[in-house]
Amino acid sequence: MKKIIFFTFTIFLLAGYSLLNGKTPESSDQCFVCHEQLGGVADQFKKDIHFQKGVSCAGCHGGDSRSDDMEKAMSKSAGFLGIPKGDDISLRCANCHEKKEMMQKYGSHLPTNQLELLKASVHGKLSTNGKEKIIQCITCHNAHGIVSVKNPASPVYPLNIPNTCGKCHSNAKFMQTYNPSLAVDQVAKYRTSVHGMRNAKGDPKPAECASCHGSHGIRATKDTKSQVYALNIPETCSKCHSDAQYMAGYKIPTDQYAKYAISVHGKALLEKHDVGAPACNSCHGNHGATPPGVESISKVCGTCHALNADLFSSSPHKQAFDKEKLPECETCHSNHGIMPATKAMLGVGKDAVCSKCHTETKSTKGYFVAKKMRSYIDSLDTSEELALKLINDAEQKGMEISETKFKLRDAHQAKLEARTMVHSFSEQKFKDVVVGKGLSVTSASIVEAKEAVDNYFFRRYGLLVSVLIISLLSFALYLYIKQIEKKQAEKQS
Amino acid sequence: MKKLFKDAYDYLDERFHLEDLVHFMGKKYVPVHSHSIWYYFGGVSLFFFIVQVVTGILLLFYYKAGPDLAFESIQYIMSKVQFGWLIRSIHGWAANLFILAAVIHMFSVYFEKAYRKPRELTWITGMLMLFLGMGFGFSGYLLPWNELAFFATKVGSDIAGAVPIVGEPIKILMRGGPDVTGATLSRLFGFHVALFPGIFTVMLGIHLLLIQRQGISEPMHFAHLPQKEKKTMPFFPNFILRDLLLWLMMLNLLAILAVFFPAELGHKADAFGSAPAGIKPEWYFLFMFQSLKYLPAHILFIEGEVLGILLFGAAFALWLIVPFWDRKTARGEQNKLITYIGIFVIMFIIVLTILGWVV
Amino acid sequence: MSDLDSNQNRRSFLKYLLSTSVVGFLASVLYPIVSYLNPPKQNEVEVSSVLAGKISDFEKDSGKIVRFGNKPVLVIRTEKDEFKALSAVCTHLDCTVQYKKEMGLIWCACHNGKYDLNGKNVSGPPPRPLDIYQVNLQGENIFVSKKA
Repeated sequence: MKKIIFFTFTIFLLAGYSLLNGKTPESSDQCFVCHEQLGGVADQFKKDIHFQKGVSCAGCHGGDSRSDDMEKAMSKSAGFLGIPKGDDISLRCANCHEKKEMMQKYGSHLPTNQLELLKASVHGKLSTNGKEKIIQCITCHNAHGIVSVKNPASPVYPLNIPNTCGKCHSNAKFMQTYNPSLAVDQVAKYRTSVHGMRNAKGDPKPAECASCHGSHGIRATKDTKSQVYALNIPETCSKCHSDAQYMAGYKIPTDQYAKYAISVHGKALLEKHDVGAPACNSCHGNHGATPPGVESISKVCGTCHALNADLFSSSPHKQAFDKEKLPECETCHSNHGIMPATKAMLGVGKDAVCSKCHTETKSTKGYFVAKKMRSYIDSLDTSEELALKLINDAEQKGMEISETKFKLRDAHQAKLEARTMVHSFSEQKFKDVVVGKGLSVTSASIVEAKEAVDNYFFRRYGLLVSVLIISLLSFALYLYIKQIEKKQAEKQS
Repeated sequence: MKKLFKDAYDYLDERFHLEDLVHFMGKKYVPVHSHSIWYYFGGVSLFFFIVQVVTGILLLFYYKAGPDLAFESIQYIMSKVQFGWLIRSIHGWAANLFILAAVIHMFSVYFEKAYRKPRELTWITGMLMLFLGMGFGFSGYLLPWNELAFFATKVGSDIAGAVPIVGEPIKILMRGGPDVTGATLSRLFGFHVALFPGIFTVMLGIHLLLIQRQGISEPMHFAHLPQKEKKTMPFFPNFILRDLLLWLMMLNLLAILAVFFPAELGHKADAFGSAPAGIKPEWYFLFMFQSLKYLPAHILFIEGEVLGILLFGAAFALWLIVPFWDRKTARGEQNKLITYIGIFVIMFIIVLTILGWVV
Repeated sequence: MSDLDSNQNRRSFLKYLLSTSVVGFLASVLYPIVSYLNPPKQNEVEVSSVLAGKISDFEKDSGKIVRFGNKPVLVIRTEKDEFKALSAVCTHLDCTVQYKKEMGLIWCACHNGKYDLNGKNVSGPPPRPLDIYQVNLQGENIFVSKKA
């Protein structure tokens, strides 16, 4: 009896000690006592944050850590699990990490939704053998040497993340079993990027994999909830790049997102949800994110605006720009805040970009060509407007004129083509499109619309004639009735 | 020339005894009094009906029912076919004027109480023709298959569908399915060009036959007049020629309306498009449409709309059988109540139509 | 006597007036009707299906724009001698696309948008594929219709 009392007392004392100390006295964790002598995992576990916070081996492996009798401690009846396998691994972690109260008990304020996020992520959904998911907690966090994310020794510390992810993602053979079409050069590209180079130099602030892709809840790029889904990219980048405080040391502007959002590209992507429109990564690259250099701007823009780039490259401007070291597209169109191209950009007016270099006294040839080109497009606009007005007029008068309307589509097309052709900076080529294609259509439409309006007046004359005839007949009939009735009256009297 | 006519007349007379008919018509007289003008509206309605038949047949030559083609074929009629715009515009205007003339004709008969014995059947066939005219209007409205027509038909058939018990089957029957689709178009086209004209022609035959057989109704005060003071004019040729004169004027009116206010086409119907603003039914449905709008959502235990539809149904039924419950007139007495009801109905229709138009 | 004369004159004048105006009336009613019945030059409206032309109108590996209602449709005879019909309205900014022989693609001149022969946007700014139309061959004739 005394023995029992003493034993209980000791337990309480030990328990109390451990609670006060926050550390497990090795002597009470019998698993550790033995396994320390064996070396290996126990050594790693010593550095583990769980060990330091007092979670024993049994916390994950089960069993009775108080018993020094191996048979007893590692028996099924004591709840011993052995080495958790497959999805059980993450479940063991979640056993505590999912429960707020449990985490608070150890003084942790970590979020508790990691497993939930992981399950929804591409890593938590995919599986090759059908039994277990690709990734368990330990894949990234290690098993026995888990340390805080803020600890530079952690495999998920910002400086270590690229290599951690690269363990699988740079391994072509491994990736082939899961996603053969996925590239495996992300880390290599990343290392060439500004982000990657700074990261390699030991700066934890620039973006690493998790900054853009998320950590536990990584989703496939095509998943609309992914942070790197086309529509979400600008916002993801802006999390850092629009934060003036965060970007303070890097001496680059932080207004790119604000400019982009009102640009023609930003509106297409963010407002019209046209995923074909370029996001940040379309010009800057994704893993190898770098600002395009002066040389490469036209190539980057030219991936989509190919005709414009081609025309520009063979235009006289190419050489002039090279000489002046002017960035090609950007000089006229700016970079992040590209506005829809209107005719206001052309010519020699106040808003015209041509007059930046060409004035009445300087580079005068361009000045006159620009003026001429503008006059062509102006006359096409006026002519199209007139055609539309006449068509509308004819429609208002109830005339069917859909065919002419159909034809007028070509004028719209000519205007768009002119917007491209302007990059040849050749007056003749521009004229061919605007006058040859556009004005010929608008003038034909104007003629047809006028005919329709004329036809409307023909109806009126036709009506006049027939109304006169019918009225005449009515009048004759009236006289006839009078005559008959007069006769009848004569007869009666 | 004259001889040719006479020969033809004799040829026909010999076989069909035309002389009897002329004699019969010549002996028919139309009463002349201060309200004689109303006698002409029956004839005017007939004229518009004839115009409808002629222009309708003409439209049929180019019109193609079907969701793919209806709109386009009307567009084709309006733009490519010579005078297609005229034919379609006249068809549209004459349809409206027919209803207007028929309604005036109906009210004049009502106030003169000309429906009284022995002309109960004339009244009923006339009323049925008016209902058919509305059916013509409703079914014809969809045929261009434009946005407005599509949604108006949707709303219209929805209202019919609100009638308890029989409503749903009627709606399905009207639409040829649960929704307004190409099937509805085929169906209403069938109604418009085959079913309704068929019934209408029978009704019109009976209606005209009865008028010829029974003669033109005399106003009630004629009964107390001595034979000498009853002023009349011969039906043929005096009345007929006057009618003809009026028809010519109406034709002029139609031509003017068709040229100055041609029928519009609008946009092609799109079942998945959103309803355009301001869908209104044809003006002759407007007073019903508008009164249904004013009813509260629930009256006692039934829905306001359902109650409204039932009330309208009952009102129309009572109106239809007025010759049978108006005992006083049948006995030859003045029935002021009928006149008051009539005035109330006209006021009601006018006020609500205006409200529906403006609001 | 003179009274009777003038009376008779008036009557014959009225007869003359009546008959001429009846003729005029008939003319003014029949003229529109007869012109209406006279079939227009353009073929009937057949928008659910349009005759794109004869097979011989199309060279191998070429395309042609055909009007389909209010929309242009691009009909292509491919290298492999198949016929394809696609909406010719670029999904980017509504330009009219064309078949580019040397690329084997459908190409939009405005911004170098490219579509493959199944209408899928493969390069450039177009955000969506082109709508596909159905092609039916009846003897020598090529008919294009909306895909059901």
